[in-house]
Amino acid sequence: MGFAFTEENLRELEALAKRYPSKEALMLPALWKVMEQEGFISVEAMEAVAEWLGVSPMKVYGVVTFYEMFHEKPLGRHHIKVCRTLSCALCGQSGVLERLKERLGIEVGETTEDGRFTLSQVECLGSCGTAPVMQIDDTLYENLTPEKVDEILKELR
Amino acid sequence: MREVKIVSRRFDVPDVDRLDVALEHGAYKAVEKAFSMGSEAVLNAVCESGLRGKGGGGAPACGKWKLAAQHPDPVKFLAVNCDESEPGTFKDRQIITKDPHLLIEGIILTCYAIGAHDAYIYIRGEYHDFQKVLQKAIDEAYGAGILGEKTMGHDWRLDVTIHRGAGAYICGEKSALLESMEGKRGHPRLKPHRKEPEWYFGRPTLVNNVETIATVPFIVAEGPQAYRSYGTEKSPGTMLFALSGHVERPGVYEAEFGTPMMEYIERFGGGIKGGRALKAVIPGGASTPVLTAAEAAEARLDYESMKSLGSSLGTGGMIVMDETVDMVEALKNLLGFYHHESCGQCTPCREGTGWVDRIADAVVRGEAEAADLQKMLDISWTMNGKTICVFAPAVSGVIDAFVEKFGDEFQARLRSMA
Amino acid sequence: MSEKVKKMVKITVDDRTIEAEEGAILLQVLLENGFEIPYYCYHEALGPDGNCRMCMVEIEGKKRPQISCDTFVEEGLIVRTDTENIRRVRRGILELQLVNHPVDCPVCDQAGECSLQDYYMEYGLYHGKVPKAEKLHFEKHLDLGRNVMLDQERCVLCKRCVRFTGNIVKTGELGVVERADHSHIATLPGRKLENGYAMNVVDLCPVGALTSKDFRFKQRVWFLTSTPSVCHGCATGCAIYIDHAKTKFEDDTIYRFRPRKNPDINGHFICDEGRLSYKALQENRLREARAESSSIGFEEAAAQMKKMVESWQGRIVVLADANLYIEELEMVQIFANRIGGKLHAPLDAYRDPAFEDAWLKSAMRAANAKGVERLGIDTSMPSSRGEVLLINFNHPAAGDVKARRQIDLLTHRPETFADLTLPIAAWSETSGTLVNEAGIEQRCEQALFPNDPVPTLMTWLEAWDLGERCLV
Repeated sequence: MGFAFTEENLRELEALAKRYPSKEALMLPALWKVMEQEGFISVEAMEAVAEWLGVSPMKVYGVVTFYEMFHEKPLGRHHIKVCRTLSCALCGQSGVLERLKERLGIEVGETTEDGRFTLSQVECLGSCGTAPVMQIDDTLYENLTPEKVDEILKELR
Repeated sequence: MREVKIVSRRFDVPDVDRLDVALEHGAYKAVEKAFSMGSEAVLNAVCESGLRGKGGGGAPACGKWKLAAQHPDPVKFLAVNCDESEPGTFKDRQIITKDPHLLIEGIILTCYAIGAHDAYIYIRGEYHDFQKVLQKAIDEAYGAGILGEKTMGHDWRLDVTIHRGAGAYICGEKSALLESMEGKRGHPRLKPHRKEPEWYFGRPTLVNNVETIATVPFIVAEGPQAYRSYGTEKSPGTMLFALSGHVERPGVYEAEFGTPMMEYIERFGGGIKGGRALKAVIPGGASTPVLTAAEAAEARLDYESMKSLGSSLGTGGMIVMDETVDMVEALKNLLGFYHHESCGQCTPCREGTGWVDRIADAVVRGEAEAADLQKMLDISWTMNGKTICVFAPAVSGVIDAFVEKFGDEFQARLRSMA
Repeated sequence: MSEKVKKMVKITVDDRTIEAEEGAILLQVLLENGFEIPYYCYHEALGPDGNCRMCMVEIEGKKRPQISCDTFVEEGLIVRTDTENIRRVRRGILELQLVNHPVDCPVCDQAGECSLQDYYMEYGLYHGKVPKAEKLHFEKHLDLGRNVMLDQERCVLCKRCVRFTGNIVKTGELGVVERADHSHIATLPGRKLENGYAMNVVDLCPVGALTSKDFRFKQRVWFLTSTPSVCHGCATGCAIYIDHAKTKFEDDTIYRFRPRKNPDINGHFICDEGRLSYKALQENRLREARAESSSIGFEEAAAQMKKMVESWQGRIVVLADANLYIEELEMVQIFANRIGGKLHAPLDAYRDPAFEDAWLKSAMRAANAKGVERLGIDTSMPSSRGEVLLINFNHPAAGDVKARRQIDLLTHRPETFADLTLPIAAWSETSGTLVNEAGIEQRCEQALFPNDPVPTLMTWLEAWDLGERCLV
């Protein structure tokens, strides 16, 4: 199970590299390309990124595991990230989370059996004014209520 | 209380994220003025305005700008901090989505003043949808010749690149941000021994928060005195303060420094939700020590007032807590955050954040004894002022304020030894 | 251009005035002046990293305690290393180091040479319990390859090992993964340590997280005696300690070689091959004298040697190992002269280009090749047509020399025995001087004192009464 960047991604990365004083700066951009391409970052992909950047694969591994949004294993088709931090907690986050667990039949950190949803709790999403919030993939859902959760899940099924 | 909109002045203009609309409403006018003033004059204007960094530290922008501007290295960089991850803070995203051209204009002015030709906007990974709005504005600016080889027709190059983070609170710390931008784990660097700029791949670099940069166009266009006409002597100007938690209308609202906190909460937030009584306010993002209702009544939204109350203005993001809030659980919530977000580099923070989180959890569950609470305070002492960056000292300040000010609630949860 | 002149300045530490180089790392200065400062992450060869926070001291004029690894010497600096506040800081940080540490000293190989253990005894935390803190668990027996074992739970994340592989050997196999208190040292899944200096990380590790598979469980460190010596693996001449012990039921035995600091040669490190060469040194040793295949007494052997040498006078070729000490070589030289023998120490036999690298490993795999050259000994292979007596002082290529009769003086058992074979003490059982490739002379002390020592080379030559040098 190897990994190779698509030609388009590689082209984009090469173009981006011109914007930086050192190719090593392309670590996060390259890993984001892997995420877009595969949905997760395998050891093979880390090795490919390391080779492209000219750094040790271990360095890439250290970086991948440092950042919350990089994953070493594939997740469900949709990744539901519920904010757990204070403003959301004050504004009813627990009801939202409970509803999600109930509807999906999974606990935090698990993926539904059909592979559709992975449920996570995350730290502050920077949307405290519209708490409680969650992010599904890249989309933010604000001012949540348990009822709203039902509607959102219906749309995503 | 005066109404004032400096950074948020175009927030309500429909479609102002589009270049044509932004131009219609005066965007990029300051750039022309700056080029006629010269770079040193721009720098001086910022210094005279008394602009202070709006990312949390509140350090005068002038000092940092001078360190970068006066460094002899011909290659310099600007890193714009849009990692906005401090709980209670959501102002920078208003700027990049509502008026992205204001930020781009500020970037041009800042780079011109310090002599940088490459700017990077480090944006938190979760802001991907907002990043797209900003990227579209940057693309439009390139298309219109505002960015690129010739900045608005002048023989002066500027490239602006968005750099996407990937989920790490600590990357909002300026040296961790630069480490991250260099392709590393986001570990803060050891503090320098003398005043010097930040370094990106060994080149002098200025790191400023989005809102700080977005304030520059007003200062250049209207002059430093216009900015100084708002706020207080030591905290001049305005800030995008924010409200979350138990208020009727949470959100981001610009106000002068020095505005009384409760007046702000009443006027913009519509008061405490459901007419309930106020218990506490965390004044400037989770990492600023909590204020009691009595302290909040005295507090003004400026650096000096907050300092005199033993807290700090931070990012200006207020988390409002009403009488129903369980302060033990609130602290546990925050300690969970810090436990998760410690970069793990130095001992007191790596081990301390985990340990205090576990003790707080025991207090919540009613399984802790007085000795455990004391242990939490001891660890807090060890975390304060003994680490590489200010993350652990901030946690320490949070713990001490909660336990000191709401001690009864903590005592009531302890298991008695009998 | 001339080197920058070191400027010496005066600083005050705990009321003592100390001279130190301006700009020097304060921690290093304090350690060199005998102050006891606890630390994990700093290492002279790796520089400061500032992550462990243990080396804090008070600096007059600074509000907060400062880490001395990131404080630099300047004129008039006033330092306090042992105030009540500093002790509290150290105790507090130490307690945090221990919160997720198993405190399994009785079964830990590092016990006795562990900074964590030393400090927590000193700071009196040995009966402290850790309230409300279930310890986190990590991998305890990770084989990192190259004889290095990792116990992640004992690790204090000082990153010395990471910095060694990253900045010194530049192979970068080790790193920190995850963050906060889940941080731990790891290699990329499926990969292991892949460099020939890997075992240095065991010495660098200040706690029992990295241990040597070769040494672990074999001997408690407090039973070991460390004798300064020099590695005989190649001509670089890395300074080492020979760690050995003579226990109730066992003769003096080497348990490990460790690098010994020598800034002019090996810095703080040695290669793994040199480190493990102690095994071959003490395996398969020759302890008896033989006349062809039958065992004979030492006195009988000496007499036979004397007789053979006399009857072959003038038709003798002498071969000397380029690992012998200068003193031994000199004696062999005098001996060869006395008996009219032609002395050679052929160096080609030691050349091993495959071993060589850009750091410590030399292609010349003899410890005293330079010494041989200095003494003017012929380094070519002798061109004998066969009608000679060959006297071989432990040279590895003696089999390539044609000879009618042969006397071997050997440290290790040969595959086939010569006409006369005499055992000699190995370099660890005697003392002497080596000259390394760069011309640096180093003294090796006698480390081992076996219960039944075999004679030294010098002893065998006593019969010729060659002079005072025999007593060396």
